[in-house]
Amino acid sequence: MNVAPRKLDLSGWDDRYEELQRNGLREPAYGGPLRRHVVRGKDYRLEQLQFDNSPAALRLWNFLLTENERLHRARAGGEKIVGTMKDLGTVPVMAYSLPGLRAFYPDGAWWTPCLMECSDRLLQQAEAMGVDASFCPVRAMLPAFENGEHFPKPDLLVCSTGAVCDDFSAIAQRLEHLGHAILWWEIPRRRPPAAAEPVCDLPGNLAAPKIQVDCVQSELQRVGEALGGLAGETLDDDLLANGIRIANQVRRRLGALRKSVYAAPAAPLPALEMLVAEMLAIHFCSDRAETIVVLDALLAEAQARIRLGRFSVNAQAVRTYWVNPVADLRAMNLLEELGGRICGSDFMFSHALDLIPENLPPLEALARSALADPMAGPTADRGARIVRECQASRAEVVVVSRIPGASHCAREGEIIRAMVRLRLGIPAIELEIPPVCDALLPALGSRLQALFETARARRTK
Amino acid sequence: MDVFLTSPWIPAEWIRAHGLIPRGIWASESFHSGGSPLSAGVCAFAEAAVRFAETATDSVVIFSTACDQMRRGFDTAQLHGLERDFLFNLPATETLAAKQIYRAELERLGRFLLAIGGHAPAAATLRQELMQSNATRQRLLESATTTSPRGFAEAVSRFHWDGEYSPPPPDAQGNPVALALVGGPFLPPHWKLLDEIEAAGGRVVFNATKTGERSLSPSFDWAAGTNPFDALVRGYHDHMVDVFQRPNTRLYSWLKPRLAAREVRGIVLWLFTGCDLWRAEAHTLRKTFGLPVLQLEADEATGFSARDLTRIQAFVETLQ
Repeated sequence: MNVAPRKLDLSGWDDRYEELQRNGLREPAYGGPLRRHVVRGKDYRLEQLQFDNSPAALRLWNFLLTENERLHRARAGGEKIVGTMKDLGTVPVMAYSLPGLRAFYPDGAWWTPCLMECSDRLLQQAEAMGVDASFCPVRAMLPAFENGEHFPKPDLLVCSTGAVCDDFSAIAQRLEHLGHAILWWEIPRRRPPAAAEPVCDLPGNLAAPKIQVDCVQSELQRVGEALGGLAGETLDDDLLANGIRIANQVRRRLGALRKSVYAAPAAPLPALEMLVAEMLAIHFCSDRAETIVVLDALLAEAQARIRLGRFSVNAQAVRTYWVNPVADLRAMNLLEELGGRICGSDFMFSHALDLIPENLPPLEALARSALADPMAGPTADRGARIVRECQASRAEVVVVSRIPGASHCAREGEIIRAMVRLRLGIPAIELEIPPVCDALLPALGSRLQALFETARARRTK
Repeated sequence: MDVFLTSPWIPAEWIRAHGLIPRGIWASESFHSGGSPLSAGVCAFAEAAVRFAETATDSVVIFSTACDQMRRGFDTAQLHGLERDFLFNLPATETLAAKQIYRAELERLGRFLLAIGGHAPAAATLRQELMQSNATRQRLLESATTTSPRGFAEAVSRFHWDGEYSPPPPDAQGNPVALALVGGPFLPPHWKLLDEIEAAGGRVVFNATKTGERSLSPSFDWAAGTNPFDALVRGYHDHMVDVFQRPNTRLYSWLKPRLAAREVRGIVLWLFTGCDLWRAEAHTLRKTFGLPVLQLEADEATGFSARDLTRIQAFVETLQ
């Protein structure tokens, strides 16, 4: 790292890219200037974003924005594509344990309307298919399946059901009605074990009755058999154990990155890049090996900046704990523009950040990890973790980002905010962020400014 | 003690066999709370269940996990300190694992019922309860096509309130437009909708709402030596018909012969605002059965709007 951290818009990155090339930048096959994603991929939202200026960030963005291309290339190369839906972090670990399989989340199409600033008309098409704006933006997935213009049609579709979001479950069911066969697997609503009931510890300081772990394990066994059938090779314990070991390598790197960035006196990497980096945990952005390289580069950049005392966001910024992913990436920039910084996050997949136990039979370990999904358990469990992490990261405020139309958002924000206020006494607000939030920027900005002013005023008391 | 059930898939027979009184919460006069405005996205049915739980301090409410709204409604009730209530895990799939979960949940519910003052159920008592409810369900189902829509709704509601059979009044024959009412809970304050449909020249010949005919689908078989608890598990798990099931092919398989047999000409899709599960089915219902679908939303648990009436009148008129 020999350049001070700075945020660049897309034009700034045009110059920066040339500069890096002149200086001998070495890139992977998916590399190139960010501008091309606007020109070729119609990702117009990039023109409204501010990016970190490091080569590590460039690699991260190129990795993210070439996912569909890479999936098509993998298909052309003879690999089988697994569409895994809703569980956010479990089935991909299984799929990548087998040779010749590549798993991705069609759910990820929820960012497509944002990136393409709705020019793709996916949301309008979804509405024409009977899934209107009363559903979460993940409804973009539905027409994306039908028009085939984004990700390749999967060879196998797997979806968790049971204790999952209603809107996602409804959309996935609609998908099946349209002729896309789905392998459904049951994830029961996690509950506290009763007295004298056999108990299993779960990642994330959670526990569940053994009977629930057994249920998920037998469901994952079914999924494993289907994956094995697709790969032409049985997913045995050795293969899965190795897959878990590598998934944990990713999770350890993410853990180190989060710790470095969130615990630093000021933010060495911006919130936007951290959001994207965290997303790599769930399915490795369709390339497990490359995810490790991308994370290593980000971690090295963050640690170098900390050593040199060079930061993206200054130390006076209000330490903000962010709950839920944002439908519009621009919101992450806005947070920092208005004087905040991220010091912790729960983007709905904290179970995909926790290490999968390596001292248990691998399928049981994965079942325990799946049951630790914050969306499968009581909101109070999720709130308790948020409170713990807020304490550890000395959060000054909490922002619950409401996802428009998402069934879980109707109540969870209220519960989480109540827990934060009661146990920590810090301000907590809820903001709804649509896929393109430009029209709401003044209102969102006012609310964030008021929040940060309140937090700064509390510092002087 | 009254034990209020938020879903017809939680067996009332099991509660009764424990010496407690099961009640379909939707049949309670004090369920339809209305009152303060709902937060965006909150289902009025789930909200009414939470409010009911808050006020009915001398009874318990059994929530179900069938949808996010009820799961998180339970979370809200817990946040308000209502730890006496119970969340019943209704599996969404029909796998062996799901059946085991359902069975285990019944056992867990049994322990809960003992803790709140119930007694251990004798096999003979449970068997008697199953036989009695089987018979009542059968009588109600037989009356479904020969009685007035409102009378049938009232009779089913009575069954879910106290387990009794009250014969619904016979139907006045005529030649109205035959409609099916499909969807979520259809509560007593909504019943006047049935009258309005008749006044418009239609008739609900098939009430397939969660609180209508569909709620009568559990059925118990009696092979020699059958353990009544096994019969209970099978009778509910293998026969529940609902939109949350994945895949929900059982719902469509259940609807298809009934829609055809009753010569239904249009479907009224009844759902609460915020219910993604039913809302997403409108297109599939239309396409699968080739019938027009009118979607009506209840934005609170207390009734329906004048705008809905106009839409119903137009819908029936179109089909005449």
